[in-house]
Amino acid sequence: MGIALFDIIVFPGFIFLGILSLVAEFTDRKLNARLQNRVGPPWYQPLADFIKLSTKETIVPESASSRMFRALPLFALASASTAFLYIPIWSTTSLFPFSCDLIVVLYLLTVPTLTFFLAGWFSSSLYSEIGSIRTMTQLFAYEVPLYMALLGPAILADNWSISGIASYYYIHPLMALFNIPGLLVSLVAAQGKLERAPFDIPDAETEIVGGTFTEYNGRFLAFFRMSIDVELVVVATLIAAVFFPLFTPANAIVGFLIYLVKILFVIFLLAVLRTALARLRIEQMVSFCWRILAPLALLQVLIDLIVKGVLAH
Amino acid sequence: MIVDRIVTWARMKSPWIVHFNSGACNACDIEVLAALTPRYDVERFGILLKGSPRHADVLVCSGPVTLQQKERLKTIYEQMSEPKFVLAVGTCASSAGVFNGCYGVCGGVDTVLPVSAYIPGCPARPEAIIDGVVKLLKSLKK
Ligand code: SF4
Repeated sequence: MGIALFDIIVFPGFIFLGILSLVAEFTDRKLNARLQNRVGPPWYQPLADFIKLSTKETIVPESASSRMFRALPLFALASASTAFLYIPIWSTTSLFPFSCDLIVVLYLLTVPTLTFFLAGWFSSSLYSEIGSIRTMTQLFAYEVPLYMALLGPAILADNWSISGIASYYYIHPLMALFNIPGLLVSLVAAQGKLERAPFDIPDAETEIVGGTFTEYNGRFLAFFRMSIDVELVVVATLIAAVFFPLFTPANAIVGFLIYLVKILFVIFLLAVLRTALARLRIEQMVSFCWRILAPLALLQVLIDLIVKGVLAH
Repeated sequence: MIVDRIVTWARMKSPWIVHFNSGACNACDIEVLAALTPRYDVERFGILLKGSPRHADVLVCSGPVTLQQKERLKTIYEQMSEPKFVLAVGTCASSAGVFNGCYGVCGGVDTVLPVSAYIPGCPARPEAIIDGVVKLLKSLKK
């Protein structure tokens, strides 16, 4: 009981994940600023934003469904944080591994997107409804390439749990080189998952005010922002665990430092993508995902199948 | 006590703004936009431009308030959540300026909303706008 509480509250629960997600948001914003030749925000910026938002007055619009409006941010935060439990951090096994947890993690990562959709829908404002519909449209475009890109390595490792995949590539590090197309696809698709440029169409502030979160304010908005940050950490950890087979199961401290370097590198790549690219229109985004990303992800699956067949003989 | 200090610190460090043109000649708006460009980099102070008034803490108003815009300005102000501040950018927003006495104008922003800081200038320079925001935030401490 005590250990379970420690897991939930301190590590790898809310405190650890909260600090890590604030660090991730800061890194992302600072890199974005530096790439635009700016100074960028100070290190405490995400924390100040969080405290300020959570102490602001909270308004629930009259036409919104009050219960859903309040509950959805918590759902988003809870499911994004739960996904973190099944991803290996420094050793090749996660805290609570079980077979096929890759699928569970991918679905847990879909839940926040669904809550964004519902949040926009239940706010019942015109802009947030447009934002929700865009969120949904986008979901159907990037999910398939993202899943396929992550399933390719799983096929090669012949294991559907992330811990299994990580230990396979830890033993055969050169095999990870076959997964480079998948890495590229998942980096681009992750931008859609995290709703960042070039796929920040659902909350395009120049077109539809605040998108899905138009009506959100105060601590509910703080929770939503927090869950997006946690999602960023989880996606970076997932990509790092599947595509970068660098673990030190023997030494937790060195392993943790390597883990930090890995996720910061993934966040760096995501920040470069976000800064370098401009927002697409929704139909451009859908056709890009289906015409370019999905075939590339299929190619990844094909490569892994062929390599596996060759190795078997 | 310490909680109050932390909250005030967070409010000072993270002012999100929403920009509203209540009838300006557009020169002030362009200066507000110029202040948001990478050249001045207001994210250093934690200032972010937000699209929705629900997210914002500071309402940056430019121009005199025309009779047409009066109700809309009030609605936008009411949509913001407490604590909220209004910043009047430009001579027009402060006192209606050259439009004072015009038939369609009801005066500066302070005739409609409580204004926390006035930034004079026709148009106000980006440096002046940033200075105004920083001074407004410093006044929060008291
Ligand atoms: S203060 Fe000058 S520049 Fe600004 S809106 Fe008025 S007339 Fe235009």
